[in-house]
Amino acid sequence: MSGSRTGNGSSPSSSRPAADGGSRQQPRARTDGGSQQRSRSRTDGGPATPAGTVADGERRSRSLRNRVERRALAVLGATAVALLVGMFYYPVATVFVEAVVVDGAATLSVFVEILRDPFYFGELARLFAGESPLSVAGDLLSPDRRLGIVGFTAYQAALSTVASVALGLPAAYVLARYEFPGRQTLRSLTILPFVLPSIMVAVGFVAAFGRNGPINAALGLVGLGPIEWLFSLKAIVLAHAFYNAPLVARLTTAAWESVDASAVETARSLGAGPRRAFLDVVAPQLYPAVLMSAALTFVFTFGTFPIVLALGDFSLATVEVFVYRLIQDLDYAEAAGLAVVELVISLSILYAYLRYEARQSAAARGARPLPRKPLRPPSLSIRDLLPRLGIAVYAAIAVVVFLVPIASMLQASVTDAGGVTLDHYRFLVERQAGGAAFQVQPWPAIRNSLLFGAAALAVALPMGVIVAVLTTRSYRGRKLVDAVAMAPLSVSGIVVGLGLLRGLVFGTEIGSVEIAITGAVAIVAAHAVAGYPFVVRTVAPGLERLDPQLLESARALGASRVRALLDVELPLVWPGVVAGAAFAFAISIGEFSATVILATGADQFTMPIAIERFIGRRLGPATAMGVVLLVVTSVSFVVIDRLGGEHRGL
Amino acid sequence: MSTVASDGPDTDRRRPTGPSAIELDGVTKRYATTTAVDDVSLSVADGEFFTLVGPSGCGKTTTLRLVGGFEAPTEGAIRLGGADAAGVPPEDRDVGVVFQNYALFPHMTVGENVAYGLKFADAPGGVSDEERVAELLELVDLAGAEDRDPAALSGGQRQRIAMARALAPGPDVLLLDEPMSALDAKLRERLRVQIREIQQELSITTLYVTHDQEEALAVSDRVAVMRDGRVEQIGRPREIYDRPATRFVAAFVGDNNVFDGPVTDVESTADGWLVTVEVGDGTAVTVALDSLPGDGSEGPGDDSDVRVGDRLTFCVRPEHLAVDGGTNALSATVASAEFLGETTRVHLDWGGRELLARTTTGLDGDVTLGFDPTDAHVVGVD
Repeated sequence: MSGSRTGNGSSPSSSRPAADGGSRQQPRARTDGGSQQRSRSRTDGGPATPAGTVADGERRSRSLRNRVERRALAVLGATAVALLVGMFYYPVATVFVEAVVVDGAATLSVFVEILRDPFYFGELARLFAGESPLSVAGDLLSPDRRLGIVGFTAYQAALSTVASVALGLPAAYVLARYEFPGRQTLRSLTILPFVLPSIMVAVGFVAAFGRNGPINAALGLVGLGPIEWLFSLKAIVLAHAFYNAPLVARLTTAAWESVDASAVETARSLGAGPRRAFLDVVAPQLYPAVLMSAALTFVFTFGTFPIVLALGDFSLATVEVFVYRLIQDLDYAEAAGLAVVELVISLSILYAYLRYEARQSAAARGARPLPRKPLRPPSLSIRDLLPRLGIAVYAAIAVVVFLVPIASMLQASVTDAGGVTLDHYRFLVERQAGGAAFQVQPWPAIRNSLLFGAAALAVALPMGVIVAVLTTRSYRGRKLVDAVAMAPLSVSGIVVGLGLLRGLVFGTEIGSVEIAITGAVAIVAAHAVAGYPFVVRTVAPGLERLDPQLLESARALGASRVRALLDVELPLVWPGVVAGAAFAFAISIGEFSATVILATGADQFTMPIAIERFIGRRLGPATAMGVVLLVVTSVSFVVIDRLGGEHRGL
Repeated sequence: MSTVASDGPDTDRRRPTGPSAIELDGVTKRYATTTAVDDVSLSVADGEFFTLVGPSGCGKTTTLRLVGGFEAPTEGAIRLGGADAAGVPPEDRDVGVVFQNYALFPHMTVGENVAYGLKFADAPGGVSDEERVAELLELVDLAGAEDRDPAALSGGQRQRIAMARALAPGPDVLLLDEPMSALDAKLRERLRVQIREIQQELSITTLYVTHDQEEALAVSDRVAVMRDGRVEQIGRPREIYDRPATRFVAAFVGDNNVFDGPVTDVESTADGWLVTVEVGDGTAVTVALDSLPGDGSEGPGDDSDVRVGDRLTFCVRPEHLAVDGGTNALSATVASAEFLGETTRVHLDWGGRELLARTTTGLDGDVTLGFDPTDAHVVGVD
């Protein structure tokens, strides 16, 4: 970097006329050269100077180009919004309307009846019916209280939340504070439940906890059991924990890792002991994450459907399951009313949580995270051994909850009474020529799943990318757009399915035009609605992280807006786009709630629907199909993990 | 205090050669609640190294972004090479930009970064793109770095790659937005020499933005000191340092001692005037006012307007305060001293106010400091 740049043989200044000698006397000479040098970008336009003498033609074409570029986003945004309205808001609105319009007149009678019916609200229904709160509270505390369906749903959601937090926090502790081989992989695996179809998890639990499953076999070996957890609340809560404990672990680990070690060290130097420093410095930074994951777990498990349908019996029906029953009984008004009640409860919790979250400042990543301890005890002292012993106990429980169900499913899919066999897989691909139309045919289900998945992806991916762009720009009303676009995350598949069925599959009239779509199209729409928020969630952070000066640099170097988009923005957010695509595909493959309502015939069944029909009757094919689902979603998981590891909490 | 124009006969030797490379005419940029740039007019000659300096939030970066076309002015006109730039997008302005964080494209190699602008314009001098890239990398002393990953480079190297990328298409104007603020002090000093050398070698018009007044004085042909969106003074570095136009410039550029007080006597001399000012505690000092006709740099208003009773603001550089120096005397006590190597910066307590002196020997205890009336520079008369 010395000043030895006086020779001009190969330096860029060689384009300057040699005669100019002193470099400062004829600066114009170089500038003229500069204008010529850029002739390529200019010859199609006009004179070399930027403006003033610029020909009208160039100015007009430039402003046209700017206008088109500016409008393009508006047009794409409007298209996405129109799709969202057609696929989500209109159908959901029809559910609302159905709940409040009886025989052509608006009324709240459906709600009032639901609220006052002890079948739904248990003892609370008497409160809504006008009884004294005191007597109701007294009865609620008595042992033979009635919870009603809504009460039971909240009860099992609360139990599931406690179980998920109890199982998730130790995992967060281990992941954040210990170093061991496979830690990163384990941390990545906490995203897996998002893509694992819940019906597959149900199959795993049936295989694991069934009378002949490995759990009971193991218990039998030590002279215990058998336990009959299937079709009981225990299995449901455990399956929910399988699903949501990783979420708790993931969010809490992230919070824990963002704790700045120097804050703890400051507390220690000021006189706080290790326990006190944890309570005063670390724990307050973990509460928001724990609370967030607990709130999300409650909302998810409150709206649970496939797991309860598969693992519960009639006495364990949750709201969603009962809505489904009502739909099957063609009692649409009551189904809609109940669905709206559920939606209101879920959204209230979510809203309360979001209000809370908004008050929390974004946790800045700690400059220096807390150091990790080795998992292998450095000495045999009590201080080193005790926590690791606890971890070992936790690990054993975790294996039973997380690993055994998956392993049991794999094992059951390749065994039958006679030992190892591939019969179950063979059954999947054989054409059941002789089967009746109403019978479940596995091969069409696999084909449908892939087909619907591809179609849903084709809709969800562009929609998600456009919405991501719209929600990462700053303009007034951006928050509203964000909320409107993300609402599908909080509305259950049952409601979307019911709305699509009543609003579009059964047909609607706009003016004099009768609009009706087939069940298959409705299924694709439902899947796209369920999947695109995940595309937004994976693409938006990349767009937000994108340094605007990268774009400005590209523009200054001569790239047009569109060109800069292709050369700079897209390559940099591409991993997020691919991860979003994997998400959307996996969500579609595993979607159950809306599909089970919309699949009007066996020819529209997807893998999850087929599995649900197989459970209880033919565990072998169910597990084999579960394995197929596991493979497809695991591939999606690998893609997401490799490319989109930094997506947001959801 | 009004802006002092720099139209003195020797302030801009290159002015007559043609239209200014960059010209701002009454440019204002307002946002919803703030005015970032407030009625700024300046012109940068072809091949000139022009620096905008000021504290953070003074509008210097916004001014650069307006020139680059990343923002549009609320009022006023910007001309590049004499042509109105209104509505011209950045890619059509022939500007090269180096941002504070360099903004290297992380998904491209060093070579691809430098070559990016060549996709939209032929390499200057009729060479191939590869040759041009090699040329530029050699220019910034990073020859052969084509295949390296920008993320693997040091901060100083990234800064030079950003320079090479900005220069590759042969822009008319180079815009540098605090290009060295992320680097350590030693490296900054080396790089600023290199940037100046490259600028001289290419004779490229350069608009440089920095908050570091020392850097501004070191590299620039001319400097504009900005404050609160307005230009306080434009001038050559020595002018800015020796004859600050406002109290703000006097205090911002280098160390300074600013005094003010009522004028008690005005005495005409052969060279101009000697003004006696009471600067506090009954201390009176004399300040020389030169009265060269047409020289507006001695502060607002005509010097001959100074009358008894006016309030005069003037400054004396620390290096001009010496023990028993000059005809003026200030009794002060040494409060602390910073040994800087070549000199020592001495902080003194003067009747409760702080004075700065710069000596080669160091001071101690109670001292009497003096300065020559001609070393005082008047920045304001009320």
